[in-house]
Amino acid sequence: MKSKLLNFITYLILVTWTVIVLFPIFWMVTTSFKEKLDVFLGPKYLPWVDFKPTTKWWVRIFTIERRELITPFVNSLIVAGISSFFASLFGSMSAYALTRYKFRFGPMNNDDILLWIVSQRMMPPIITALAVFLMFRVTNLLDTHFGLILVYIAFNLPLAVWIMANFLSQIPQSIEEAALVDGASRAQAFFRVVVPMVLPSLSATFLLCFVFAWNEFLMALILTYSRAQTMPILIAMQHFQRGPQWWDISALSTLAVLPPIAITLGLQRYFVKGLIPIGK
Amino acid sequence: MAQWQGRLFLTPTILILLLLTIFPFLFTLAMAFGKVSFEGGALKITLIGIKNWGRLVYDARFWNALVVTLKIVSLSVFCEYLLGLLLAMLLNRRIKGRTFFRVTFLLPMMLAPIAVGYMWRMMLNDTRGPFNDFLRRLGFGTVGWLSDPNVAMYSIVLTDIWQWTPFMILILLAGLQGIPRDYIEAAKVDGASGWKVFIYVIFPLLAPASIAAIFLRSVEAFKIIDIIYIMTGGGPGLVTESLTLYGYSVGLRAFDLAYGATISFSLFFVVLFSSVLFFFLTRKARRISLE
Repeated sequence: MKSKLLNFITYLILVTWTVIVLFPIFWMVTTSFKEKLDVFLGPKYLPWVDFKPTTKWWVRIFTIERRELITPFVNSLIVAGISSFFASLFGSMSAYALTRYKFRFGPMNNDDILLWIVSQRMMPPIITALAVFLMFRVTNLLDTHFGLILVYIAFNLPLAVWIMANFLSQIPQSIEEAALVDGASRAQAFFRVVVPMVLPSLSATFLLCFVFAWNEFLMALILTYSRAQTMPILIAMQHFQRGPQWWDISALSTLAVLPPIAITLGLQRYFVKGLIPIGK
Repeated sequence: MAQWQGRLFLTPTILILLLLTIFPFLFTLAMAFGKVSFEGGALKITLIGIKNWGRLVYDARFWNALVVTLKIVSLSVFCEYLLGLLLAMLLNRRIKGRTFFRVTFLLPMMLAPIAVGYMWRMMLNDTRGPFNDFLRRLGFGTVGWLSDPNVAMYSIVLTDIWQWTPFMILILLAGLQGIPRDYIEAAKVDGASGWKVFIYVIFPLLAPASIAAIFLRSVEAFKIIDIIYIMTGGGPGLVTESLTLYGYSVGLRAFDLAYGATISFSLFFVVLFSSVLFFFLTRKARRISLE
């Protein structure tokens, strides 16, 4: 009897929170299918019941407004994709070195180096942003893909190193040692033996870095103004230009949250099992 | 074993971090103690001592931004922790649909904060948003969620809670799963009630995860700008202006780089000081959990 009540309360809370989580997303998606009047005349909730959905804003952003939209979308893909690739590559290389070699840089041993790398993530980005802005201005990297990619590699490296160090310390070393005995170099052992073994974790790391780079706002705001603008900047700019035109910006925002949602669903196994090492 | 090979593996990471984190950090430090000028297009920094910091001490707008940031951080992180703990406890039970709930609950933290801010801006709109519509239907008066100076900050906190409670759930759930079931069974066999098991067994064993979750989330929360930028732009007046937003406005909109750097650096000290204080306050809990 008591456990039945407990189960009921559990479900009540879980379902309530599910509604709280999904409602704003639902609101944004439905708004992108509303006529102007349905937006202006107070809130309308259910499609086909409260209002008749229209696809004209979606058609518009893919036709008339295509040029404005496509550049930031492609920019986001390029910048997030390339930076995450290098962040996971360099990150796993460092993680490999830190789990296989014994280092000593002055007073720092392996754990200190790992902590130093990870702690870089804690620094508020506004501190580096002002200086990076000036550095890029001098080197002509403002508003370029290359500049933003560099910044995002640095932004995601601490996370990539942390996650990969955890994975790499768990896999048995006997296989790569066998390869080394057979005359493979360290680089061969890493790229031919270790990387294929940790490929699932490596792709999870890549996707997580991708989401963070895709969503990043402050650096993109400061370092780009037209050619290299990313999706979050497009949304913010459109919002300030158009004010209350909710439908267009809702469509853009929906487009901006689709890749992260797809990635979350794809990575659910990792989240459920626990991707982040705690108390180790 | 050849040590240079290992160093080679580390080199790209160290180089990138030196170039894009450590160097800019020192550069900003120099700006905070100097004056930035452009002579014929060439950038010049002249050190002028602590003049910028003197200005900071008498800058009411800086103190306002500091208080706003501290309020947002403490309030959001506190609520996120309590909610995250409750939801993680429930998700840790053996129930049907567990995977569905876990994945759904994680969604908000994966979405672009700019999109989240925009969603909530629409939701909280005075006349066209569902929040005031519900209040009206229930017969209450409407609230100026983003326009009332007494409320706007809480709307920002609300949005932050919606987006970042998932992070707490993620870490606390991992912590809960690490607690051996035998401990809990043993306590129950000894006749402890549900509450007692929670207070004397689960909560102390969860301390490392709790500390990690609160610490990591606070450090992130101190950086808040995107949600505020799109929801209120720091207004009405200055009631929602965070330190990062103020540093950005001064440094890159008013283009007073030296003073912008000073404000940003003050944020660094705030984060550093809060971290040290936090580690000092939790030293007892951390020692207990080690034993």
